[in-house]
Amino acid sequence: MKKLIEVRNLNIAYGGTAGWTNVVQGVSFEIARGEAFGLVGESGCGKSTVAYRLLGYGTINSLVQTGEVLFDGTDLLKLDAAALTRLRGKRIALVPQNPTTSLSPGMRVGAQIREMIATHKALPEDMAMETRIVELFALVGLPDVGHRYPHELSGGQQQRVTIAMAVACNPDLLVLDEPTTGLDVTTQRQIVQLLADLRVRIGMAMLYVTHDLALLAQIADRVGVMYAGQLVEVAPCEKLLSAPAHPYSRGLIASIPTIDGAARPGRGLRGVLRRDQISTGCKFEPRCDFATTACRTTPQTLEPVAEARAVACMRWREAVAPHFPVLVKRGEEKTAEAPARLLSVANLSLSYTRPGLFDRLLDRASPAVVRDIDLDLRTGEVLALVGESGSGKSTIARAISGRLPPGAGIIRLDGTALAPALKDRSVEELRQIQYIFQNPDASLNPRRRIRAILARPIDHFGIEVDEKALETVLDNVGLHAGYLDRFPEQLSGGERQRIAIARALLVNPKLLICDEILSALDVSVQARIVELLRALKEKHAVAMLFISHDLAVVQEFADRVAVLYHGELMQLADTATLLSKPLHPYTEMLLEAAPGLRKDHYVSRPPSAPNSMAAPGVGCPLAGRCPRQIGSLCADTRPPIQTTVNGFIRCHLTTGNLATGASPANRNDHPRQSRSVS
Amino acid sequence: MSIFRLLASRILLSALTLLLVSILIFLILEALPGDVATRILGREATAKALEVLRSQLHLDQPALVRYFQWLGDFLRGDLGTSIATGRPIADVLGPRIVNTLLLSFFAFILYLVLALVPAIIQAVNRGKAIDNVISVITLLLLSLPDFLLATMLLFLFAVAVPILPALATISENSTWPEMLRVMVLPAVTLAIMMAVYAIRVLRDSLIEVLRSDYVRLAELKGLRPRAVLFRHALPNAIVPALNVTALNLGFLIGGVVIVERVFSYPGFGTLLIDALQLRDIPLIKATVMISAAVYVAANLVADVLAVLLQPRLRTSR
Repeated sequence: MKKLIEVRNLNIAYGGTAGWTNVVQGVSFEIARGEAFGLVGESGCGKSTVAYRLLGYGTINSLVQTGEVLFDGTDLLKLDAAALTRLRGKRIALVPQNPTTSLSPGMRVGAQIREMIATHKALPEDMAMETRIVELFALVGLPDVGHRYPHELSGGQQQRVTIAMAVACNPDLLVLDEPTTGLDVTTQRQIVQLLADLRVRIGMAMLYVTHDLALLAQIADRVGVMYAGQLVEVAPCEKLLSAPAHPYSRGLIASIPTIDGAARPGRGLRGVLRRDQISTGCKFEPRCDFATTACRTTPQTLEPVAEARAVACMRWREAVAPHFPVLVKRGEEKTAEAPARLLSVANLSLSYTRPGLFDRLLDRASPAVVRDIDLDLRTGEVLALVGESGSGKSTIARAISGRLPPGAGIIRLDGTALAPALKDRSVEELRQIQYIFQNPDASLNPRRRIRAILARPIDHFGIEVDEKALETVLDNVGLHAGYLDRFPEQLSGGERQRIAIARALLVNPKLLICDEILSALDVSVQARIVELLRALKEKHAVAMLFISHDLAVVQEFADRVAVLYHGELMQLADTATLLSKPLHPYTEMLLEAAPGLRKDHYVSRPPSAPNSMAAPGVGCPLAGRCPRQIGSLCADTRPPIQTTVNGFIRCHLTTGNLATGASPANRNDHPRQSRSVS
Repeated sequence: MSIFRLLASRILLSALTLLLVSILIFLILEALPGDVATRILGREATAKALEVLRSQLHLDQPALVRYFQWLGDFLRGDLGTSIATGRPIADVLGPRIVNTLLLSFFAFILYLVLALVPAIIQAVNRGKAIDNVISVITLLLLSLPDFLLATMLLFLFAVAVPILPALATISENSTWPEMLRVMVLPAVTLAIMMAVYAIRVLRDSLIEVLRSDYVRLAELKGLRPRAVLFRHALPNAIVPALNVTALNLGFLIGGVVIVERVFSYPGFGTLLIDALQLRDIPLIKATVMISAAVYVAANLVADVLAVLLQPRLRTSR
């Protein structure tokens, strides 16, 4: 195949207060016309830095030391600003990571696309601008939303707009910077599906940057794995996933939780990348299971090992040879008597806006964002609360923790009803419920040392502890006493999250609310935090409300799963049952969208009655999106709650019908094939 | 439409503010020793004469009645009679307001240029020498009292290098070029005083916006730098500066008083000082009410502009 773009020996450094740091070293790869190349690695590995150089773009404090980026024979790194401006958008276009912040907030989305086409004079002949824009919207599966402002669109729609914009001038190369991070699983899959589809239709090449190998499996032809600024392995996608050669690739793949239960070679990664520990030889040496003393001093470069494959490891043969046991065997289901009920939530309804003066005068209630929630949680149990963004997961957690007084319903802890508002709860009640937030960067005071951060709750609740308490708790979360005198900014994201967990554990809570605590972390770090939480659960019998949008993580250690959609519980079941026999149409949709580690040709099933949405609180919230909707019944009547063996389902279809896939309105629906789940 | 609802509630609030201002002015002037009758007749006036005059001027009525009478007259456009000149206040105020509006308008246009241009230069060249130089200059000007700046400009351009008139006297038959020449110094003073703070706010918000994802995407779409700056960066960066501008318009009212005094410009400001010195109570009431109204209206306009520039504010709430 003909090379479209070629990166040769790229070295990039970032300037900081401590001088220059090398962030990209000796990176070389090429992308052929029409090829999709994936660049994968954990945060900070330099993958985005490389990607933006393909657009001739670098931040002010970065410096290209050596290297070339040859696009159609010209070196993009040597082009002047004017020449780059002509190239960008027209021949090489970007799909940004975060569409919400990447679309200009004060400009209608149609105008933003129009501006792109007009600047590059890329309007096809005898076609009106407006026609072209509508055509582009149709291409990405959107109606004509040109007159909308970005904030009037959902995250998935916004990303479709940026994709429409990127392909507006029929570029030769599309650079995608984590285009689905931050989107819901179902939306993620639709976007990836759209991109794969566009590639076939328009025939452009792609550079797809991501930390998510599972998604890459769905779209990339070849993948380059980056570690600490270097490419450690380049291989065809399916070869890499089925038989990774570099120890890092093996660890990375093993760290990814998936729900398809595919056998994984090797085991998860240990340690974290620490720039201060990098050896002069192989950069992965400190974390590598196969390292020898020679690895520490011998720099590794990419060497071809097979057809279209290259690995930067002199011991890759040894790494490939042995086979570790595949999956950690999880503890058997405890059949002992059920422990006492710790938390019970009954008939909970929540709304954010307090009714204004006018509304109160007119006796209008503000709309509930969460309604009719019934949950209970036993001592030592992990209940996962899953759902897409905006489904009300965190809202429920806020109400339980007392930060959002409920509109209706009762929250009980150990049988006593909790006061709705935080200020009315007793100190003891506050101690028993601890909250861990999504973003540890924002939840730890940056101006306090870890010691002060950890000591604060002990002082506040007046807990008597021995002087070793802080060290013990650090030990419990896998850190050591040396961390006590550090500031949060000296810690990595995963370490900070451990501190947040340690802080919560110090006061011996009965209930730990974990609000998406893994989503800001790399897969290898995620895997280890999950390990930690599982150990804590067994050791301390702490109950956890584990909020997540990621079913794959949930199946790793939740006992039961509650599925939430638009503020209503759709299903509650124990984890194994939910994953093997999802029954509820929405749970099925979620499971289908979660990517496995092999190409699965995901096609989202179309809703059976797309235009019959239910008014909030009237019918089923899934109406209009459900592939198995029974006509207008679902939109007009509230679905009944059907008790199942270990939970419930809220649906108009009977459990029998759900299991067989039959639906009264749609008899020719094929029976769903059974799904294999670990 | 929420924008109309917002507009309606803001207008209502503005009216309420002005009502409170009117009560406050009335109370303060009421609390001052001596009344209009003693002002007119002087210290030597007999009790009898005072009583007659008071009943003529309805001063013998209770304060509440007089307040509503005054408010009613004011709303109908009858501003009362000046004590010092004996002429209707509307006639005295009219030309002065026109003069001040001219000066303010001129100053405001200058202000926009003086605020935008340095801020853009600084933000685009952030961290470079020119950025630091402008920062130092603005800081210097910021710490300078307005009358001092006015006097310095006066000394520089009217005394040391006499290219502009020192006294800003205009009359009804001044021609346009004459008027403009006369207004240059006071307008420049006012514009500089307002601009220095706005430059700092605008520079910071522009730098923040230039770092944003949407500006980067605009660049990587292949837009020309000018389009990126004026279409994507500036409209979003200007919002924080709008509030400063509204506050600045408030300053303009106060600043006009001092600057007009320094340059002897026959405007609203000099009239207000005269009124205060002569304790011309009806005139004080009228001038203070008018300046309060201008201030409130400026804030109203700034709020509405902010909503127009940020479509997101339109649908939230």
